[in-house]
Formats: sequence, C-alpha cells, structure tokens
Amino acid sequence: MMKVLVTVKEVAEVEEDFVLDGTRIDDRFLEYDLNEWDDYAIETAVQLAEAGDDVEVVSATIGPERCEETIRMALAKGVDRGIRVWDDTLASVDLLDVNAKTEIFNAIIAEEEPDLILTGVQAHDDSFGATGVSVADAAGYEWAAVVNALDLDADAGVAHVRRELEGGVEELTDVELPAVLTIQTGINEPRYASLRGIRMAQRKEIAQQTLDDLGLDEGAVESQITLTDMYEPESESDVELFEGDADAAAASLASVLREKGVGAQ
Amino acid sequence: MLDYVGLEADLDSEERMVRDTAREFVEKEFKPIVGEHYIDGTFPTELIPKLGELGFYAPNLDGYGLPGLSETAYGLLMQELEAGDSGLRSMASVQGALVMYPIYAYGSDEQKEQWLPEMGTGETIGCFGLTEPEHGSNPSAMETYATKAGNEYVLNGSKTWITNSPIADVAVVWARDRSAENTPVRGFLVETDRDGVSTNKIDEKLSLRASITGEIGLQNVHIPKENMLPGVSGMKGPLSCLTQARFGIAWGAVGAARDCFETAREYATDREQFGGPIARFQLQQEKLAEMATQITTAQLLAYRLSELKERGEMTPQHVSMAKRNNVRMARDQSRIAREMLGGNGITADYSPMRHMANLETVYTYEGTHDIHTLVLGQDLTGIAAFE
Repeated sequence: MMKVLVTVKEVAEVEEDFVLDGTRIDDRFLEYDLNEWDDYAIETAVQLAEAGDDVEVVSATIGPERCEETIRMALAKGVDRGIRVWDDTLASVDLLDVNAKTEIFNAIIAEEEPDLILTGVQAHDDSFGATGVSVADAAGYEWAAVVNALDLDADAGVAHVRRELEGGVEELTDVELPAVLTIQTGINEPRYASLRGIRMAQRKEIAQQTLDDLGLDEGAVESQITLTDMYEPESESDVELFEGDADAAAASLASVLREKGVGAQ
Repeated sequence: MLDYVGLEADLDSEERMVRDTAREFVEKEFKPIVGEHYIDGTFPTELIPKLGELGFYAPNLDGYGLPGLSETAYGLLMQELEAGDSGLRSMASVQGALVMYPIYAYGSDEQKEQWLPEMGTGETIGCFGLTEPEHGSNPSAMETYATKAGNEYVLNGSKTWITNSPIADVAVVWARDRSAENTPVRGFLVETDRDGVSTNKIDEKLSLRASITGEIGLQNVHIPKENMLPGVSGMKGPLSCLTQARFGIAWGAVGAARDCFETAREYATDREQFGGPIARFQLQQEKLAEMATQITTAQLLAYRLSELKERGEMTPQHVSMAKRNNVRMARDQSRIAREMLGGNGITADYSPMRHMANLETVYTYEGTHDIHTLVLGQDLTGIAAFE
C-alpha cells in the first residue's frame, strides 16, 4: 500500500481588463480555476495509481466552499478522496503565507502519513513557489523541486527524478521516500475529466477540516508578510514591424541594422 | 459565454463540471483545427475515440459503462459541442441519440451487451438510416423493406443523408417488414461489412462540411433475425430516436449562437473605425442587444425542456417547438454576427459564417423547420395539415 498526497490550490485568473481596488483586484474580474502546475501533479499521482497495485491518492486544499469544485475535478480525474481545510479564522486572513500553509499541510501529513507528496512548482496567482519544499522541511521528508520526469521504484522506496535547473541544465537525482516532489508543467499531459469520472466524483468524500480539527490555532496562520501595494507597472514598447514578403522585410531589416552600425564596413 | 439571466448559476456541481470539461475540450482540442477541417470537408476522426473516452456518447443513459447524467448535463454537453461546430455535435447526437438510444430502449439484452459498451467508448461507430432519396419529410412512405427467410432477414433499399455512414461499423436501418401483417416499420442492426451493403460518401456539401455524410445501399443484405430490434414496431421507433436527438439540437443551437455572439462582441469591442471601437455605434449595439435577447430566450426554452424531460413530461411537440425556435434563432443570429465582422467574417478564421452555413443544414434536418411548424399546428388545432 502506498499513499500519495497531492496538495492543490484554486487560483484566481484575472480577466484581460481589470480594475484595482486598493491591494485587491475586484472580484468581478476574477475567475477561479485549478492551479496549472497542480493539474500536472494530479496527473502524476493518478498515473502512479494506475500503474501500481495498491495506491491511494488523496488531495488536500486550503480554501472556501467554492474550492470544492476544483477538488472535485481532481476526484473526477482519478484522485480517491479529498480534504479541504477552512474555517472562520482562515476566512479572516488576508494573506496566507508559506509558513501558514506549511503548518496546515504538516498537520495533514502527520495524520495521513503519505509516502509521497506532490505539489505544483508554484501558484499561478501569487507566484509563491516555496510551499512544497517548506512542507518537506517541516515534515522531515526528503524533497526535489521542479521535477519534470519521475520514475518511481516503490519497492526500493526511491524516486528517480529529473529536475529542471536554471539555464537549460537538467539534473538526475534519486530521492528516498517519504519525499515531497514539486512538479513542473510538461512532465505529462493532464487528462480531461471524463463524464464517467465526474459522475463517480460526486460520490467521493471531501472531508472538511478546521484548524481546530488539525490541532492548530490562529497563531499558525499569522503572517509575517503583508501586502503593501498593488499597481500596474508602466510598460514601454518600442517595436518596428516589417511589412511585406521575405525580400522586402529582409531589406528593411538590413537597413535598420546598417543604421545601428551593425556590419558597417 | 453569454448567460444573461444567470441560468448556469443554478446548475449543480456535476452539471457545471460537465460544462467545463466539454468547454475546455472544445476550446483546446477542437476549435484550433475545425477551420481547416471545414475547408477540407473532413471530420477529425482521431477525436472519435477521445470523445468516447470522455464519455460524450449517450451520457444520459445508464449502465453498460455509461454515466447516466441528468438531461440538463446532456443538454449542456450538446451546447458546448455545437459551440465548436454543428458537425461535432452531430457526431455525438448520431452516436448517442440515434444509434445507442434505440439499442438501449428497444434492443435485446444481447444487442445491448454487444453494442453499447463499445459504442460508448467510440471503438464502434454507428449511423442511423431513415431518410431515403424519395422520402424525407414523410419517412413513413419508405421503400426499404425486409423479408424473412428462415433465420434471416433480407434487406433491400437505399438510405441517404446519413451522417457517418462511410465510417460506420453498424447502421440502425428502418425498413418495412414485408413478412409481417401490415408491413410495420422495424429497426434492424446492419453491420456495414456485410455483403450487399454500400456506404457511398456524399461530397461537395456547402454546409456541415466538418461532418461525414453518405448513403446506405442495401442489396439483398442477409442479417440474422436476432439483428432486428425486438422492442418497437411502427414509426414510433425512429420518431422517438429523433425526439432524443432534437432535444440535443435545441440545446446545441444555443451553443452555436453563443459562440457567434461572443465572437461578434469581442470583434466589435476590438475593431476600431472612425477613431474608436465599432461597439460604440448604436447600430452595432442594437445587433448585440437583439442577439443576446434571442439567445437568452432560446436558452430558457432549452432549460425548461430539460426539466420536462427529466420528469417524463416532455412531449415530441415540446421538442418541435424548441428545435424550431432555437435553430431558427441561431441561423438568423449567426448571420448578424457574420455581418458585424465585415469582410473578416467571410473567412474560416472566424466561426460565425461556418456556423451560419452549418445551421442551414440543422434548419432542415431532423424535421425541417416547416414540418415542425405543422406539428405544432396540428397540436394546437387538432387538424393535421400533412395528412
């Protein structure tokens, strides 16, 4: 028996035109969806479950009732059950930082004792990218970040992973289980939920837990970070488009390069 | 997508997920390729098993690996598919409502076991043979017939305008049983690889180009007598299938119209003439206002139809009204959308003219607009104009 925990997040997607309201974007301009990276983490977990004999996949999220749809979509794709953490204390927190999420997920890990934890590399909305590794550190698990290929040897308790580093460099590493892997986009091709899966997902469990249920208090979610300002940066563009066919465009490009002093001999 | 009176807010979570999955699939997998298929006159056949994997064939039926979703969920699926193209929705309609439905409703246990699971996954493709070269609006005058010979039936005749016949593995053929008293119309499952079956493709269509259409020729085709659908006799058989499919069309037309509307709205707000977006002109605003109103009222009809269907109170006449109204609406509004796009609107880069041309087919298939008018006329007066 192997247990895989996938942490997922519902992220806000901002419409093309939006209005800032202090340090917030007005709700009218937001749509909510599953974090893109987490979709790849879910697919990774579901593929492990399909390949293995006895693999349970549990998905956990922090968020209001609205998020049930997001987590249910994960259930429709093959996750076995879900956990959603929310209560009034969490609702009153403006910014849930990495430490707060670490505390919450760590409490879930203590209860679930998963062999493998998969997270997305980062969140699409606030672009925090530390939760996965921070959770590993707190739980005393091994970790590998930005994983874009995984070959799991469950019997030996080792994950052979490929990590994407800066500058196009890739690293092959063996990580001993239990471990946290943060999953990079492109590791697989996330599936669509089938209508059969959607049907079955309605009968799968999503357990709601409060901070209290997890043995935490409001101190756990106090943030050391405050959001001070939101603004749209001034953008400047200086673009010249070359019209016409390849010959004409090449001639225009050549004259621009000559003007700039390239190949001036 | 336009949902002006917030009908989708009242969907349950399962229905919303069906809508979202179908919409995402159409956006990502279908819309990028449909223009080219339309021009080439081809259907992306590689999507057929994928549609099956997703459970898009007959998802409102239960058992045999089918999900048994609500009628609203089924309607939403048809709506999202037709927002892609009427050809895509037709693929799902034919497979689900016209082939799997009659097997499900009227087939023997053996027929259901044999066909439904593999049709649900799209491994097996079906088609529906009712219309004949000389018999369109009046199918009861059909000439195709079956005669019993020992343990077999022998079929003769020809069917035309059959979606997917050239790629089908099996056809539900409706034919007069000359061996029975009063020669009732019966349904027969005819594997297309049997001797005497031909399935010529109809080319050079100017509408529904991203959909495969053909004929079915039957020349002394021998089939085992077990291939007859045992559960239905008479025109009720084919007509009840059409009621199922037309229900999907009433929803689908709303999808096509919504896609036209969103394309036109986006174009009008982006396209600048005389120093600003053309959406600021009253002439354009009137078009959008009318389009939105027409779409919304058609949408209301589709939702109500689903409720009636769910409780078993939907009549064929209800479906006639909804198919008639919603397809006419979509046909008219797609033309307005095309108009708003000016010259750009006549290219395959934008969807409205493709939808517009498709809707010419939808307007006269599955019961022409005029015949549905007469169905309603009969229901309202008690006098049948077509008898």
